[in-house]
Order: sequence, then C-alpha cells, then structure tokens
Amino acid sequence: MPDQDNGRRPLLAAQEGIWTGQQLDLDSPAFNTGEYVEIHGPVDTTVFERALRDTVAEVEALNVRFVVDEGQPWQVAVPALEWRPHTADLTGLADPRAAALAWMARDMDRPVDLTSEPVFGHALFRIAEDRFLWYHRVHHIALDGFGLALVARRVAETYTALVEGRPLAPNGFGTLESVRAEETAYRQSERCAKDRAYWMERFADRPAVASLTDRHALPARTFLRRVVDLGPEDVEPLRALARELSVTWSDVLVAVTAGYVHQVSGARDIVLSLPAMGRLGSVSLRVPSMVRNVLALRVAVEDGDGLRDLALRVSGELRAGLPHQRYRYEQLRRDLKLVGGTRRLSGPGINVMPFEYDLRFAGHRSTVHNVSAGPVDDLSVNVYDRAEGAGLRIAMDANPGLYTEAELAAHQQGLLRLLREAVARPGRPLGELRPLTVLDGGPLPGPVRPVLARIADHAARRGGAIAVEHDGRSVTYGTLFGDARAVAQRLAARGAGPGTLVAVALPRGIEAVTAILGVLLSGAAYCPLDPAAPASRTAALLEDAGPAVVLTFAAHAAAFGDHPVLLLDGEDGQDDERAPLASSGASDDLAYVIYTSGSTGKPKGVEITHGALAHFVTGAAHRYGLRRDDRVLQFAPLHFDASVEEIFLTLCTGATLVVRTDDMTESVSGLLDACGRLGVSFLDLPTAYWHEVAYAVSTGAAALPEGLRAVIIGGEAALPERVDRWRKAVGPAVRLFNTYGPTEATVVATVADLHDPDLAAGQVPIGLPLPGLRAAVLDGELHIVGDALARGYRGRVADQARFAPLPRLTGSPRAYRTGDLVRLGDDGQLYFGGRADDEFKISGHRVQPAEVETVLLAHPGVREAAVVGQVLPDGTRRLVAHVAAESPAPGAAELRDHLRAILPPAMVPSAVRFTGRLPRTASGKIDRNALLAAEAPAAAEAPGAGGSVERAITGLWEQVLGLDGIAAGDDFFDLGAQSLQAIQVANRLGVELGREVRVAWLFQYPTAAELAGFLAHEDHKDRRDPAPGPAAPALPAALLADAVLDEDIRPGGGTRPTGAPRRVLLTGATGFVGSHLLAELLAMTDAEIVCLVRAKDAAEATERLRTSFAGQRLPWPADEGRITAVPSDLSRPLLGLSADRFAELAAGCDAIWHNAATVSIMRDYSSLRGANTEATRRLLGMAAERSVPVHLVSTLSVAPPRSHSPEVPEAFLPAHSGLVYGYQQSKWASERLLEQAAERGLPVTLHRLGRVTGPAGTGFVNQRDFLWSVLRSGIPAGILPELFEAEVWTPVDYVAKAVVRLSLTAAAGTVFNHAPVPQVRLDDLYDWVQEYGYAVKRLPLGRWREELPRSADVAATTGAFLDSWTAGSDDGDEPDLGLGRVRADNVLRGLEDTGIVCPEADRALVFRYLDHCVQTGALPAPPEKKPLAGKPVSQGNSEGSRSDY
Amino acid sequence: MAEPLTLAVFRADLAEFLHQRPDDVDLDENPLLAGLDSLRITTLAERWRAAGVQVTFLELAERTSFGEWWTLLSERQAGVSRGDA
Repeated sequence: MPDQDNGRRPLLAAQEGIWTGQQLDLDSPAFNTGEYVEIHGPVDTTVFERALRDTVAEVEALNVRFVVDEGQPWQVAVPALEWRPHTADLTGLADPRAAALAWMARDMDRPVDLTSEPVFGHALFRIAEDRFLWYHRVHHIALDGFGLALVARRVAETYTALVEGRPLAPNGFGTLESVRAEETAYRQSERCAKDRAYWMERFADRPAVASLTDRHALPARTFLRRVVDLGPEDVEPLRALARELSVTWSDVLVAVTAGYVHQVSGARDIVLSLPAMGRLGSVSLRVPSMVRNVLALRVAVEDGDGLRDLALRVSGELRAGLPHQRYRYEQLRRDLKLVGGTRRLSGPGINVMPFEYDLRFAGHRSTVHNVSAGPVDDLSVNVYDRAEGAGLRIAMDANPGLYTEAELAAHQQGLLRLLREAVARPGRPLGELRPLTVLDGGPLPGPVRPVLARIADHAARRGGAIAVEHDGRSVTYGTLFGDARAVAQRLAARGAGPGTLVAVALPRGIEAVTAILGVLLSGAAYCPLDPAAPASRTAALLEDAGPAVVLTFAAHAAAFGDHPVLLLDGEDGQDDERAPLASSGASDDLAYVIYTSGSTGKPKGVEITHGALAHFVTGAAHRYGLRRDDRVLQFAPLHFDASVEEIFLTLCTGATLVVRTDDMTESVSGLLDACGRLGVSFLDLPTAYWHEVAYAVSTGAAALPEGLRAVIIGGEAALPERVDRWRKAVGPAVRLFNTYGPTEATVVATVADLHDPDLAAGQVPIGLPLPGLRAAVLDGELHIVGDALARGYRGRVADQARFAPLPRLTGSPRAYRTGDLVRLGDDGQLYFGGRADDEFKISGHRVQPAEVETVLLAHPGVREAAVVGQVLPDGTRRLVAHVAAESPAPGAAELRDHLRAILPPAMVPSAVRFTGRLPRTASGKIDRNALLAAEAPAAAEAPGAGGSVERAITGLWEQVLGLDGIAAGDDFFDLGAQSLQAIQVANRLGVELGREVRVAWLFQYPTAAELAGFLAHEDHKDRRDPAPGPAAPALPAALLADAVLDEDIRPGGGTRPTGAPRRVLLTGATGFVGSHLLAELLAMTDAEIVCLVRAKDAAEATERLRTSFAGQRLPWPADEGRITAVPSDLSRPLLGLSADRFAELAAGCDAIWHNAATVSIMRDYSSLRGANTEATRRLLGMAAERSVPVHLVSTLSVAPPRSHSPEVPEAFLPAHSGLVYGYQQSKWASERLLEQAAERGLPVTLHRLGRVTGPAGTGFVNQRDFLWSVLRSGIPAGILPELFEAEVWTPVDYVAKAVVRLSLTAAAGTVFNHAPVPQVRLDDLYDWVQEYGYAVKRLPLGRWREELPRSADVAATTGAFLDSWTAGSDDGDEPDLGLGRVRADNVLRGLEDTGIVCPEADRALVFRYLDHCVQTGALPAPPEKKPLAGKPVSQGNSEGSRSDY
Repeated sequence: MAEPLTLAVFRADLAEFLHQRPDDVDLDENPLLAGLDSLRITTLAERWRAAGVQVTFLELAERTSFGEWWTLLSERQAGVSRGDA
C-alpha cells in the first residue's frame, strides 16, 4: 500500500511531458541533453572532481529517481553517491579532441533508466597541456538548458574557490518544492485560465501544421545535425535590420524561418515551435530544474510579404503570446485534442539561446558547446549567440525518420540563402525569393528551319527516297510533296489559308500524312480529329475549333453535318477547283491545334505555332539521333501529339515513316514481328503499351526485331519494375528514351536515357530538357520555358494560370506551368512525382497514387494497378487499389502486407479490388474517373480476423476513457485520450493479448481497426521471421488450445453434494504442501480423504503417504482409517483409474482439492501439460455431473511480473507475455480451465501460493526449494546472487489451514492470492544470513554464476535454470521475476475472525530455518559462531516433492 | 562615456521593446505580461551595462515589475557614483 509520506513527489508538468515521451520508447537515449565546456587553461583534475561532487550534491534535481505507481510517475529523492566522473588524459592520441567527442557521442547514446540510474554523467578530458574538455550529460527530465547553465556556473564557482582557497559563496539555489508550489498555485490561478483562453482562441480552428516535409515519423532516438557559424558579415546586417524595426534579431530569425517553411510548403499559415524559458518572474530562475515550455507561434505568411512585414508580425505575435507562456504546451494539445496520430500543434522549431555563459575556471576562460538539446520531433533551428562579435552559431537538428542528411543540408542552405537575401532586401516579397531550380537543355544544334522547308528540301534533293509506307504501299518524298501541294490548292479554293483551321478526320495512312502536309502548305493549321469518335464529341470539338474545312474520307463525312467537307477519296478530286497558295509556315502562324483529352471539364484546343513545331523538331531529332536511313513506326492516332513527333521528326530528317496497320497491335509479338519484317529501327510507343512489350520481352514471350535502334516512350510514368525488366533483358544496345511533355510544350519537353548503364536499378528519371528548352522547378512544380510553348488555348483569353512570365528568371520569360510535380535527383535529372491535382490527402498525408501503384506493381502477382482516392459519403477518405493480377492471383491481405512493408500506413489502401483489366482512356492511359465511378461507396468493410482484437482494444479504451460504444474506426485521441491513458491501454492490452504492445503503436495507429490491423501484421511478420529478440515469445499454440475447457464439462443433472463433506478427494498428498493439506483436512473435516497417489498398488500408495509425513516430521494421524490411498496417474486418461473407480469417485465425492503438480523450472510446457493441465481438466470432468466443488492449488508465478503489471489481482488472469516457463504456462492453463468451469456455474475456488516455507514453529526447510538450493550453494562460497527484490513467503502450516478453511467457506468462483503479509525483501534475507554469521557478498546473477565454484552443491536443475536465465543477458539485464503488489483482500476477508493468521517472515524465522540447515548438515556452521536463535527441534533428513516457485 | 541612465532613458528603452510611447510605459507592469522574453531582457541588460550600470539578466528576470527594475538600476547607479568597488 503506497504510503502518503514516503518522500516521493509529483513531477512538474514539464517533467511529466518528458517522462511520457520516455515511456513511448524506454530504450531511447533521445532525452539525454549534453554540452561540453572547453577550458582554455590547465585544470587540477582532483579538485575538479571534488567541485563536481560538491555541486551535484547541492543540486536537488540531480539526486532523484523516478518510480511509477499505478501508472503515475513520481520523483523520489535519492542521493547520488555511487558515481564518478570519467577522466582521461588523451594527449597521447593523434586526435585527442576527436577521441573525446567520440566518447561523448557514445555516452550520449546510452539510454538512462530513470528508475535506477543517476540522471547525469560527467567526464573531464585533457586534450592538451593546458586544454580540457568538461562534458556534462543530464536527462531532460531533470534539467532544461537554463538549469544546465545554472549547474555549470556553480561548478565553475566551486572549482575556482577550491583552487584559490577562498570561501565558496552560497549557491543561492531555491528548492524544487518552491517550483512545485509555484506551479500548483499557477494552475489554480485566474492567470492560468486567462492563458488557456488566449491559446484556445488563437488555435480554435486547429490549423493544419506545415513542415518542411510531408512525411510523418515517430520521435527518433537520434538526430541529424548540421552546424554553421555566421560571421559578422551575416550577423551585422541582421542586427541592423532588427534595430531598424525595433525588434530583436531573434524575431528576424524566427521570421526568416517562418518564411522558409512557407516557401517550401506553400502554406500560408505557419506554426513554429518556440522553446520558452518559462522562468521570468519565477522562483525557478534560481532553481536548477526542468520547467521549459514550448510556445506555438502562429504567423500568417503570404508570398507578397517581405521580411520587414514578417519580422514585425512575428514580433507582435510574440508580444501577444509571451505573456501566456506559462500555460503548458502539452496541456494545450490535450485541450485542443491534438494528441496522437499525426496531429500536431506546431511545426519546425526555432530555439534562440541568448545565454552566453562566460564561465571562468580559476581564471581560465572557457567556451560552451552544445552536444544535444534533446529529442527532435521534426526539425529545429538552434541559434547560439557566441561571444561578443563572434557572430551566431546555427545548429540545425532533424529527425532522421523525416529527413535525410542531404535534405537537411539542402534545408540548411535554403534557410541561409533566404536569410541573406531577405536581410539584404527586407522589402522584397518572399514570393520573389523562392528557391528555384533551373535545368537548361543547352543550345539547339543549329538554326531552326520551318518544317515545310525541310521537307521540301528532301522532296527536291532526294525526291525518290521513300517518305511513307503503309500496308504494302509507299510514297516517295517527291510524290508526297506533290500530292500535298495538290491538297493544299484544293483547300485554298475552299477558303483555307493563313489564320484558318482545317480539321483532319482521317485514319493513319499515307493519305493522312499527305493531308496534314497539304493543310500546312495551304497556310492553314490542321486540327486532327478522331474519325471514330462519338458524333457528340466531334460536334463539340468542331464547334470549339471552328475549322474552315473538314478533310476526311467519304465514309466519315456524315459525322460533319453542315460543315464544309473536302473528301480526300472523292471522285471529283481531279476536277476539283484549285487556288494558288499563299506563303505558308511563318513562325507565328499556327501549325496545328490538338485537343487534350481533359479528364475534367471541356477539352481544350492547344495551339502550336510553326515556330514551336520547328523548335521541337530541331531539338528532338538531334536528341534522339535520328538518321536519314531510319525507319520510324507511325503508331499514334493523329489526334495524339505523339503522331506529330513521329511524322515531323521523320519527314524533316528525310527518313521513312512506316505506318502501322490496325492488326499489328493485336499482340506484342505480332507487333514486334511486323516491325522486324518492315525493318523498323525507331519505335515510338505509348508507355502503357510499352509496359506490355517490356514484360513480353523480359519473359521471352516476344523478341525485339533485329534492326531496332531506339524506342521512345511517353504518355505516362514508366514503371520502375518494367524498366528494370527491360534493361535486364535488352541491355544498352537498344536505346530507350523516356520522354515527358505536355501537349502545351509541343510533344516532348524532357528526355532521359533509360539505357544508360550508370542508371541505378529502380530509377526512372524523366531526364533533362530538350535542347532549346529550360525546366524551372518552383515549389516542386515543373515549369517549362522556351520557344516550343503553345500560343495558348483555342478560343480562350490568355490563360494566366498556365502561361505566365517567370519573373525569377532573367528577362521574365514566358513559362508553362505544367501542374506536374518533379524532384531533382542526385544524378541531376528530373524525376516525375505525379500530378499536383492527383494528390490525395489522407490523415494529413499527401499521397501520390503513383507511388502506391509503383510498389503494388513490384509484387510479382500484379500485372496492372491503379490507386484512386475516394471520399465516402460520411467524409471518410480512403485509398482503393484496383489490381489486375497474374495467375495465381495474390490475396488482398498479401498485397496489403507487401505494401505495408514499404509504405507508411496512410499509403496502404483500405480496399483492394481485383479486376481482369483496368479501364483505359482512348489514349491508353488508365481511366481513373472510370475507376472512381465504379467504386461505389461500400458499406463498412467486413470485419477481418482482427475482430476480437479490435473489440479488446475498444473495450479497454471504453474502460480507460469512461465512454461507451467506441467503434473500431474511432480515433482514441479525438475522443480525448491522453498520453498517460495510452500508456495504460498499451500495458493492459499487452496483458490481455499476451504480447508486447508498445505505447508508440497506439500513437501511430490511433483507431482500433488500424491498431488491430497493425498487430495482425506484426504477428504475421513474427511468424515469417522468428527473430530472437527481447520481445516476449508467443505462447505455444498447444498451450492456448489446452486452455479451452471441453464444451461438455458443464454442471450436470446429478445430485449435488450438500452439507459437510463426507468424502473428499485430494491430489498431491505426498508433497510438501499436500501432506499438510491432508493433515488439515483430517483436522478440519470429518470426511474420508481419498488420496490419489502415484503408485502401483494401494499398499505402496499408503506407504508413500507415510513416508512423506515422516519426512515432514508430521505425526501420522491417529485416525488413519479416514485416509484411503488410491493408486493413480494423473497424467493418464481417467487419471489412471479404472472406469469403475472413476465413476464411483465421481458419484461419491463431495469435494476435490487438486494440489498435485509436477514442478520443474526447466521442463517445457509439452512435457508438463499431461500431469498439470490435463489432470485439472479430468478432475473438472469428474466433478461436473454433480457440481462437486473443485479447489485448485496454483502458484503466484502465473502472474505477470512487475515489469508487465504493477499488481497481481485476485482474479483469473488473461494470457500475458510473462508466461515464459513451461511450469508457469501449465499452471496458467489449469487456471483458465477452472475459470471457464466457474463461468459455467461449477463451484470452484482457486488458491495461488507464493514461496511456501517450512512450518513457522519448527524451522523445517524444504530442501528442494529453489531459493534454499541457491542459499545452500552460495553460502559456503561466500557469495549470493541478486535474484529479485522481494517475494511472498508463507509457512506451510498456515497455508494448509488457510486453503482448507477458505475452500469450505468461500463463494464459488473466488480467487485467493495467499500473500496476506508483506513480501520478504531479498536484501533483508541476505542481511539476516550475514547476521547469522555467514560472510557473504552479493553479486549480480551472472557474476554469481561465474564465480560459483564448480563443485558448489547446487541442484542440477536449479543450476541449469540459472544458466538459462543468465545466458545472453548482459550485465544488469536479467529478467525481473519479481511481482508487483499482490492483492490478497479475499484471503484477509475470508480469514477474519478465524484465528488463522500468517506469521511474518522475520529474522527469527530465518534464523530458525538456518538452524535447521546447519543441524541437517545442509549448511556448514557459520564461522563466526552466533548463539542459535531458534530451538533445535529438527531431526532426520527431509524430502519434499514440491517447491513452490 | 555613455549617457547616464535616467528614468526617461529607461522608459524610452522599454518603450522601444514594447512598441509603445515612452509615456505609455506602465512601471507597475510585469515584464513577463508585457510580452518581454529572455532575449529582450538580455538585450536591455546589455544596453544598461553599456550605460555603466552593472545589472545581470537574472536580476532583471526575477523582478516582477518595471518599477522594481528601475529601483535596482538606480541603486546600482548610485553605487557606481559613490565609487563602490
């Protein structure tokens, strides 16, 4: 029972925050903070050590331990005595400073156990004759940065006084109690309420918190750091600007940081985390302690703001917020329900430390260097004001779970760049200071010539060369050009000419190419229409485009209604009217208009000029290395701009265009074979189609044609998996160009060489801009600059959102904003990152479906995948994966596991739909709209296998939160859960599920459904990868199966026993406890006692009972006629009895005491289940028909250890991970069977015993007892092991009385923990052993085993057990077998007024036991002979069959 | 070398950091509630030390009104003028 005044004190709120953080990851060293002071002068290390010891002794906050009681942390004052500073003279080393820093890093990396270790550490390194480094580490729970500085100052004072032999001034430190009192007073103050109201209003809308990353991660154990020193050239302008604005330089730095977060994230509402000292006007100014708070600083930032505006805004916000800085940040998060999951109150941190401490050590000056400022959640900018004039040091710390070294470096550079630029031009809008990456495609290889001029050249000079082939026909350049002129003249006669548009609705073919050239020669622009498009779409496009003429075949003419039509296959072709041609193809004239398929809204006609087309052709032909002898497949329909690339690149080069026939694409191998036959050397394929080609080629289902030189792909993102397949199968021999380009930038803007052998596997860049183009990356979005941009959209005023000048580039050139996100790879190439508007936000994560698809496609069973974001009617957002699978198809669970292994949880789709083929748009792209439409909002997902775990989770939350009806999808933290409660739930859930449940997981998976899913996944992982680790082993499957009581064991219809029992059954009567039970049953009842004894016949059974009594020096009962010894074997069916005997006992017994058990600390469960678990089942089976009471004797060792559960309830126990030994497991399973019997109405009671010691009166010792065998081996060797802290001791005579009495009187179903007295502390026991006269030293268990002489008399199994216990455990890392507080209320209540009282184990009792050991020769007499405390009553040797540990 | 620290200068210094007019500075106000932070107080302490008044951050930070600051500063200044060493 926790007493009220045991010196423990509640934690300060700030400490509680740290404590909770540490609980989330007990092995994390992240809360170590540290610094080192470089002392510029010689140091007397002995005096320094004394100064350290004196100072530590003065600082209350350093002399503490932290204990937990019922989930609440407390601080206990414990003088730190056993510590020494580490001192080392490193002057002999090549690099003493590096060695010292490495030592510090290692020390900083060591987690501190707050319950048992000092919270601090010191080291003093001599790195040169007159140069020392004093290192000081302290857990953040004890001191904050200011507290650390107070301590450092005192060490300097003390050292100086000692060296100079002057008296030391008082330290002036206040007490921790005064800080606590102040905090308590504050919490109850009106001020606190006002502060709360301020913050609640400021954050009432719970703004989204922007950061420098979209990722989320748990707090990490380490952090990345980059340090830079700013010299006067940077700091002076900063200070000057601050002075000019009447703000502090830190306000300016905060403003720059907010501006930088705005630039990177695009967010206009920035919330920074500002550590606040929290000490102004407070007693804590003079108390080394942890009171630091964090201020959430919310600043609005617009692109139009300059640093001047922002600094003033920050300063104003600080003036408004600082008066409220006492209100705890953690509390505000709870108030705002911003706890758990990915909820945040504030983003990146900025910590400005103005305290430059100028410490003098006996006159020697020093400099302070921070080693760690504590854990880094996201990213924090720590600014240290260095000595006068020396400028600022900026240490940027980042969570390695969120940032790579390279990213941190980039952010450091970005922040510094913004700082310098903005301080230099504080009036300049931030939008103009945004970081901009520009990639330049380089100059064009030569002058840009109009396409028609180039084609005319080929017609003139090489008129006989084949220009186009199609389906066995071909046309030379000369013929083509001539035919095109004829078409042009006919068009001109119909009014086509410069400034007009001619629609071309033709299938691929020579006629189509001729028509296109004809249109251009007429001076008009062409607009390709799909001749097979639905009439409504064609009508809409015609309406929008307004062509002068439609060029088509007679077969399609009907679709064009009233529009003037020119039929290319018309009979009147020859006689058709012709008109002379105007000059054509001026750079600013339109060449074509292509309608983009526009997934939303109306299609838009993109207008491309001759200049843009020529620019593209010049750059692209050079880039691809297209030659006159190449044969290029014309694959694309004309209304896709890929056809522009195919046709114009080929014809402008003078190569041959090979038009594909419709049947060529029926199969991949068909296409490749045809290409082979046709001698195609250049293939231009839509990426979606190429994916099939790559797959077929990689599997050998198809082969690339001999003459193929290059493949150009484009249209959508290429899948890394297919690219890798291709590269493996094809190698660099065939060039593979991955192209990217919006129609608005004329077909292709960037190209990557995927055949480049230097490209790493899995990398699919989109490369660099074509010659003549530049790519500008602004806020992640790609902008294209150059002469290949479209003029605009047909019929619309200039689209300023898409086409606008980019003022950040010299001359403000016109740029096209693509809406595509890209990143710059380490290789300097661009990588596609998805559509800015495809991005789907889910639980705060920005998810790019493409990323999920890529991972899905890496699964060998997935052929096609598309992921879409869906918003359900109730507003729930989720991802749905659509998958076309290979055979055999993988299961949805398998795919989700696969995704989970790679992606964060938010990116794993909640639903997986299988389909034969994914719907595609006309252009072959996956039709996401169709998928979204098909995905009808489903009802609740069918509960999976996690159903019962989900219920367990929601059940526990209901208990802890005091709420009803929590659903699997409810977010605990939305319901108001707090960290402490999460810790409670994690602990209880761990017990309930019999497995480890980390607190951090609850934060990561804040709904029952997510957590259950994650746990199921973890299980799955464990099964696949049974790594031996510190995690508790899962319970054996056989155990869980055995723990289920047979369905037919239920109260039957037989006559129930009433009144005093006439005949009872006892098992295990030959054991240590059993023989006492037998004695008590004889004494307390009048019944006949049937003892089931393992023996071959009744005579031997009786003889064993007698022997056992004699061994325990129990008098053989006078009324031995009441004892019936029955030979049996509990591990066998029917308990080894004949069927008749079994039936007879079932019919005639009035009660059963089941005490027998095979006790072995080494054997595993399978070898114990028969005798222990199954015997219980059989006895319950025997008892069921007549509802005979069954009283089971069990052991407290089934309870979870203290590390799992702070107390042992007097109740049945769910499975827990502390059940690691076979014996425990078998007894737990027995209890479970009894529990189910109780639930079904059978009158059972359960008795758990602790260590059962000899009768208090006699001092008899059960020599087979585990602890006594340890004592027997250790005492002669003079060493005893530190086994546990304390345990329950109960003398056997008391136990037997209590069990029998309580069994006869208790209500059915009662559980008794026979631990009615305080536990015996091992330390006390060993003290008593020492007082008895044995000189013994206490050692950690591992060392004890090592030092124990081989000959030591320790029972073989005990020794083996101890070996297995210590094996593989490091020093001080033994499992804690100690129990928490053992509840024994039922026992105490049940024995009230019975006169049965448990004697407390004390010195006298232990002396009596030791006397007994000496007299029996089990122990040598103590060398320092002490008068024997007890009476020498024991005699003879002893033998028990039971030890109750 | 520096100007002696007068109440008017003191008020002007505070006013600058509080973004108020010197006359509006309320000497009864708590520096914390006025919105000052440790850097501002450090800066003020530096400024006043430069004016010849030996005062530390800690001494200012633990006082709970500007009036108390002025009392401390005037005492220190008097001490200096007496040649206190």
